[in-house]
Amino acid sequence: MSETPLLDQVPDGPWPSFVREIRKTAEGMEKAKAEGKDVKMPGCAKGLLKQLEISYKDKKTHWKHGGIVSVVGYGGGVIGRYSDLGEEIPEVHHFHTIRVNQPAGWFYTTKALRQLCDAWEKWGSGLTNMHGSTGDFVYLGTKSEHLQPLFEEMMQMDPPFDIGGSGSDLRTPSACMGPALCEFACYDTLDLCYDLTMEYQNELHRPMWPYKFKFKLSGCPNDCVAAKARSDFAIIGTWKDDIQIDQEAVKEYAKWMDIENEVVKLCPTGAITWDGNELKIDNKNCVRCMHCINKMPKALKPGKERGATVCIGAKAPCVEGAIIGWVAIPFIPADKLKERVKEIVEPLWEWWDDEGKFRERVGEFLWRKGMGEFLRVIGQDADVRMIKHPRTNPFMYFEKSELRPSKVVEEHTKRGMKFKTLEREEEEE
Amino acid sequence: MATEKPSWWKTDFGPPKYDLFLPEVVKKNYGKWAYHEVIRPGVIKRVAESGDTVYTIRFGTPRLISIYTIRELCDIADKYCDGHLRWTSRHNVELITTDESKIDDIIKEVQETTGFPCGGTWDAPHAKYGLSNIIHTQGWVHCHTPAIDASGIVKAIMDELYEYFTEMKLPALCRISLACCANMCGAVHASDISIVGIHRTPPLVDDDAVRRMCELPTTAASCPNAAIKVKAKEKTLEVDGEKCMFCGNCYTMCPGMPLFDPENDGAAVLVAGKVSGARHDPELSKVVVPWIPNEPPRWPTLVSTIKKIFLAWANNAKKHERMIEFIERIGWERFFELADLEFSWHLIDDFRVPPFAYASYRVGTNFRW
Amino acid sequence: MAEITYTEEEKQKVLDKLGQKTWKIKDLAKILKINKKVVQKIVMDLIEEGKAAYWSSGSTTYYSTPEYIEEYERRRAEG
Repeated sequence: MSETPLLDQVPDGPWPSFVREIRKTAEGMEKAKAEGKDVKMPGCAKGLLKQLEISYKDKKTHWKHGGIVSVVGYGGGVIGRYSDLGEEIPEVHHFHTIRVNQPAGWFYTTKALRQLCDAWEKWGSGLTNMHGSTGDFVYLGTKSEHLQPLFEEMMQMDPPFDIGGSGSDLRTPSACMGPALCEFACYDTLDLCYDLTMEYQNELHRPMWPYKFKFKLSGCPNDCVAAKARSDFAIIGTWKDDIQIDQEAVKEYAKWMDIENEVVKLCPTGAITWDGNELKIDNKNCVRCMHCINKMPKALKPGKERGATVCIGAKAPCVEGAIIGWVAIPFIPADKLKERVKEIVEPLWEWWDDEGKFRERVGEFLWRKGMGEFLRVIGQDADVRMIKHPRTNPFMYFEKSELRPSKVVEEHTKRGMKFKTLEREEEEE
Repeated sequence: MATEKPSWWKTDFGPPKYDLFLPEVVKKNYGKWAYHEVIRPGVIKRVAESGDTVYTIRFGTPRLISIYTIRELCDIADKYCDGHLRWTSRHNVELITTDESKIDDIIKEVQETTGFPCGGTWDAPHAKYGLSNIIHTQGWVHCHTPAIDASGIVKAIMDELYEYFTEMKLPALCRISLACCANMCGAVHASDISIVGIHRTPPLVDDDAVRRMCELPTTAASCPNAAIKVKAKEKTLEVDGEKCMFCGNCYTMCPGMPLFDPENDGAAVLVAGKVSGARHDPELSKVVVPWIPNEPPRWPTLVSTIKKIFLAWANNAKKHERMIEFIERIGWERFFELADLEFSWHLIDDFRVPPFAYASYRVGTNFRW
Repeated sequence: MAEITYTEEEKQKVLDKLGQKTWKIKDLAKILKINKKVVQKIVMDLIEEGKAAYWSSGSTTYYSTPEYIEEYERRRAEG
């Protein structure tokens, strides 16, 4: 009788099976050991199968969290796990993961991947995630004492691989493939992702904030890396001028495509007309949603005045509810992105680090502090593109300079009255 | 550190720069791509302004991948793709070639060696969309606070929806995602269909374990809702069930606070979120099924519920109409009818009123200039 | 920005506290009545010297001494 009757039912069906991957690893590691390779954890994958079978039977996890970080000098990138079945299954008693900072856009050479695999055959379980939710290449399952020597091996690879983020730090930034393969990219996502990752190595490796902070970069509003939904600071490519049209290519599409029903009528602002001969776009009324460009990539292209929008504050539901990032900066020209993003994010970090509550994401922090304060901190003018509609209540606090001089204001100042308008003035002095 | 570091020692060197890993043809045409077209499910032809053409061939993977599988993929990439390959944001692997005649061999070899199917692409011009891979989290494989498994459920659902991955016969994009608890390591709160593991009972304090393993004040302070009190005299902790939101933070801090109940943990199903700006602003997903029990190894109730929702949309949506657009057209009452779902009081939000101000903030990038 | 400085006495106070449990910087600053930025700098310097270390909940990070963390982790692993 099989030791894993429940897991045996997983591989049924055509979709590739993770159980098959674990079994393949278990066999491969044992074989590598038998061939005399230096394999430190040959039974680990098999141990995982045993534990997983028990979870399938018990309908619950058997992992406990461990707080180990254990790589000299770094405060993140390792997630500690211990099994609560450690005595029964010693092979997975320690089962920590290591986040390896992926190359931007997830491009690899086989040479680099083979080095990552060889090191993991020696020091770990032989199991990986390609990739984790944040974007890292994940080494899945090793012992505490293997963390440091493995990292030392990573340092010596050609090219070397560094560790990613975890805890209250800058998480490993990630980006779509951008200009490497996609004609929609409105800025160089890979270059900006690499630049931010390198600029903020200290913030990535030495956690010191109230909570985590994520950058994600998408080259166009299609947002293939879901930056708007899951990064505190989403950088989404867009453009300001007119959509570029190749009328001949439109005519080619018209030979088989129902342009009227699938393009014109689906334009959210009714900005497109098609008379059977010429496609016209009312660019003043276009919201650059990408639908028509997605439909006719040979004929339509984003404009030439390209750059990105910054959406701020996205996060999952704990604690105050899920947030999709909202508009913080409507447009930064592509050639100013590196500079401007840093000008914005550094004062934001400093402010949040000073005044943020423990485990308060930037989105929740800004809800508490208000957009007005935020715009002052990052030195950004208000823009009507930040809102769906202006506020519906009149509870506004004016700048002191906006108040007319009066005896009442004078008297309040003298008495040290605290209300927002006056306090703000004091802070700025 | 007192000890002398070896000459190769370094820290903070960052990831390898992306350009080290780009195929020659990609480097040459970087930022100069003219257009793309999907020539068959899974295969995207990309043409540069220079006239150079590459084909990216996409395969779905189970995310949890063996180093031996990675080596097999490397062998194939060495043989056909000059030693280059890439992964996508949705756990797919892509092989890249400039030679159209190699496509069949690559597909055959990847499928025979790894079992990974070719597909997951969408062809907007022809309004033929394939289902993309399900992004998901660790579940029972590695997570310490899951309410459901991740990989096992994804496997069972994708087995059922397999033909939609390998063919392109959907009216629009459909992004399915799964997070094994409400902390959501995966971004499932803005997907067409999402599955979220939920706990329904507070942590059951194990006094002995708390005393052996935990720092009491640190654990109490980790609760986002201040629902945990230190019982100083008894050297243990107490949970206020009325305030607990089952997030598992306390269990992270203290293994003496397990919040698992195999009979009551399960999955909620959400629908009608999106992140792209196409036609319709980004949207959060909404709960349409409050709870489905864990039924390993194949989760039949959850799988059939997802399939009902999926088909209600796929069979009735107009071209290019994603879940939110579809539901806004037909109305929520008709959606519950078509998907054969029961509407209950759980689905009416009573958690917290979102801040008044946020409701007026614009999301996404759909601007007029 | 001005360089953050501190006294040896302040550093010792931080180190003594660190050895008692895992800490958030903010709480250390509050209990020791030392400016948060100063405590942050001291802890980072202590980490550099190998006298302080991180403990991570995965999503958030705490600070203590390597000896304390080693013992704490041993207990957590053994259950």
